[in-house]
Amino acid sequence: MSTRRAFLQTSALTGTALVLGVGREGVVAAPASTTFRPSAWLRIDQNGRTTLVVDKSEMGQGARTALAMILADELEADWAHVEVEHARPGPDFPDMHTAGSGSVIDAWKPLRKAAATARVLLVAAAASEWKVPETECRAESGTVVHASTGRRRPYGELVAAASRLPVPAEAPLKEAKERRLVGQPMKRVDGPKIVTGSAVYGADVRVLGMLFATIERCPVLGGKLLRWDGARAKAMAGVRHVLEVPTGVAVVADDTWSALKGREALDVAWDEGPHGGFSSQTHQQALATAARKGLRVTRDEGGVDAAFARAAQTLEAEYEYSFQAHAAVETLSCVADVRADRCEVWAGTQSPNRAQAIAAEITGLPQERVVVHVLLMGGAFGRRIAQDFVREAVTVSKAVKAPIQLLWTRADDTRHDFFHPATAHVLRGGLDGAGNPVAWSHSVADSYLTMFGPPDLKDPETFETWGAYDNLYAFPAFRTDYGFVDSPVPSGAWRSVFYPPSVFARESFVDEMASAARRDPLEFRRGLLAEPRMLMLHERPYDRHRLRRVLEIAAEKGDWGRPLPAGRGRGLAANMYHRRTCVAQVAEVTIDRGRVRVDRIVCAVDCGPVINPLGAVGQVESAIAWGLTAALKGRITFRNGRPEQSTYRDYPVLAFDEMPKVEVHFAPSEGEIPSGLGEQPVPTVGPAVTNAVFAATGKRIRHLPVRSVDLL
Amino acid sequence: MSSFNLLVNGARRTVEADPDTPLLWVLRDRLELRGTKYGCGIGACGSCTVHVDGRAARSCQIAVREAADRPITTIEGLSADGSHPVQRAWLEEDVAQCGFCQPGMILEAAALLRATPRPTDGAIDEALRDHVCRCGTYQRIRRAIHPAIHQAGEERR
Repeated sequence: MSTRRAFLQTSALTGTALVLGVGREGVVAAPASTTFRPSAWLRIDQNGRTTLVVDKSEMGQGARTALAMILADELEADWAHVEVEHARPGPDFPDMHTAGSGSVIDAWKPLRKAAATARVLLVAAAASEWKVPETECRAESGTVVHASTGRRRPYGELVAAASRLPVPAEAPLKEAKERRLVGQPMKRVDGPKIVTGSAVYGADVRVLGMLFATIERCPVLGGKLLRWDGARAKAMAGVRHVLEVPTGVAVVADDTWSALKGREALDVAWDEGPHGGFSSQTHQQALATAARKGLRVTRDEGGVDAAFARAAQTLEAEYEYSFQAHAAVETLSCVADVRADRCEVWAGTQSPNRAQAIAAEITGLPQERVVVHVLLMGGAFGRRIAQDFVREAVTVSKAVKAPIQLLWTRADDTRHDFFHPATAHVLRGGLDGAGNPVAWSHSVADSYLTMFGPPDLKDPETFETWGAYDNLYAFPAFRTDYGFVDSPVPSGAWRSVFYPPSVFARESFVDEMASAARRDPLEFRRGLLAEPRMLMLHERPYDRHRLRRVLEIAAEKGDWGRPLPAGRGRGLAANMYHRRTCVAQVAEVTIDRGRVRVDRIVCAVDCGPVINPLGAVGQVESAIAWGLTAALKGRITFRNGRPEQSTYRDYPVLAFDEMPKVEVHFAPSEGEIPSGLGEQPVPTVGPAVTNAVFAATGKRIRHLPVRSVDLL
Repeated sequence: MSSFNLLVNGARRTVEADPDTPLLWVLRDRLELRGTKYGCGIGACGSCTVHVDGRAARSCQIAVREAADRPITTIEGLSADGSHPVQRAWLEEDVAQCGFCQPGMILEAAALLRATPRPTDGAIDEALRDHVCRCGTYQRIRRAIHPAIHQAGEERR
């Protein structure tokens, strides 16, 4: 295709980092008979070159490494000689959506099945050639071996024969003890390219004749363009086009700097629309009111009102969690090249199929004429599920009839985020005369999420707030409520989505009850996770003992109960995420001149079998850093309909010298199915820290991020 | 538009540019050196860090006119093949996650080790405090810097 040639030409001209894309994609496909491709997941050529295809986008979570490991292990490929290729959306890959900590969960079965099928065929090809039973042969690191004679054939030499064999309906999977890669600490496949600067992210893509675009958008939520004058911008050096697009005014130039300068010269007036007066402070009050009213009951067990009436002691508290931004270091960008008969898109996207569908919709081309190249992402965290930036780029390319790169500035990226929504919580707890917990009530108010369209207020699941509804603690009487507050703030998936606010409120309030009952927070929780063992929600079981086990591991490894000097404290929190992955954390903090310093976090996790322990520990460290930003620093506020923050100075994230010592312990896994890890350790971070603050100071933090004033 | 002579990774390059153009965009858009990343444009994140006169500097905060005729090293020029002690230590500790901020981190650490062969933890904090890694790889960065100190020392001997 001519586009590929253009890509090659660009890289030949520049001799740069694009080699990665070209080296993989620019290779002329070998004739069918010399390449063994039993499925879309992998192929082996006659030189033994083994290409593993990864269909989950890489945002730092290690999907490219973990999924390649799963394939290579089951295939018995030689890890030192595999190549990893990124899939493209199309008939072979109709669902590449990368979200919900699902990369490994989604891959675990189909990838092993695909690789086992290939392995069985290669073994059969060798056995047939040697005229021995297949059962006497085994695959081993890129070769088939005949055990009794020691004969070996490398996979490459078996490619032609294996391609002629019928694909078996069933191929036996390796048993856990036969795995040689899965479960071993493996380094990131993209590591060498990252440290030399040659890894290609979305923002690094260049195609021949490409122009550079930036868009001025309305600063007010829900506002729209009133009038604009691009004459001054158009007169700037390097500026080629100034045009109106649905989200604002685009400036297209010869390079990034010229586009940004041109944008500064725009004369634009906005119609602020109905939300010019929106303020997050007023919104937070509306949330608190809604939480107090509790409009919809989602769980109601054991007669809560009567239980509270009988309780010897009743506690009540309100909790709040602020709006948060994603603030990935790589801002959003997309390259689009719209031609009359085809369209190509290069983007770091969590939803490649959606990107393809959107480009088809805008261009009017059939989907098979739209090629989407999935690039590495400099962080995503849920933001790149939305394809607004792809829509903009395709729109601009179509209008100016040239390939363009749309780059969002840091301010664009912060102000036009799909924010993590603010929430309010009202909790009540009842204790009997002996200090035993007898009643629990948790009411949540939020605006749900708008990233996937308006919230469905008819679907009961909308109200079953993660972390509040699926609360595992066994109170004799239990109720959860939900209150919806409409909001003009675009909101979306943000690493661990709804869990952090509810788990912050829940785990803090459990601590409040333990304190009121004069019980140890660990013992108090253990008591609430004892009997009955199973919680049933929607006829699905939640195992309280699994959660109790990680709690006990975290407590033991985290020196729970060992005295600390004055000014320091230890806090505990636990959570089961979507019925599967269990996490417990012990945080140690020091209060230092009115500030919280987190010294250490010990984390116990049960997430089923761990594919790559090195990557998995990194994911826990990363999730803890994410949780600490929200707990200690992150807050987006709105005033006059505008987000008040736009940079890392006013929306600071956790810094190098604020990172605690993190220790990770994986619970021995009982299950055989991985259950996700990228998001799961986030929700417990905030309450573990604030419970530690309480232990150190007696001050109860009910609003995140922690403010110095709360510590006085 | 003016003409500027740049000395990048040991090679002389001439570019025509608006004198105020940040070095970052000259590197990325003109010289095809895209290991230098844009993260914020205000010197707050450190992703665009390069070496100028052997010291770590934020290329988004240096106009091309200020960078002319001074030796500049980008991540592509730190070593020919990724063999700089800091790069090797980074791989050994498997530091990177998304990796986007890492060229800036590596160049900052390399400049620190050149200026202070045995930095204290306080000096390491000081150098890296203003570099943002949203993946939170800080613990591994700290762990990688210590062997890098050792390796760099070995090579000087």
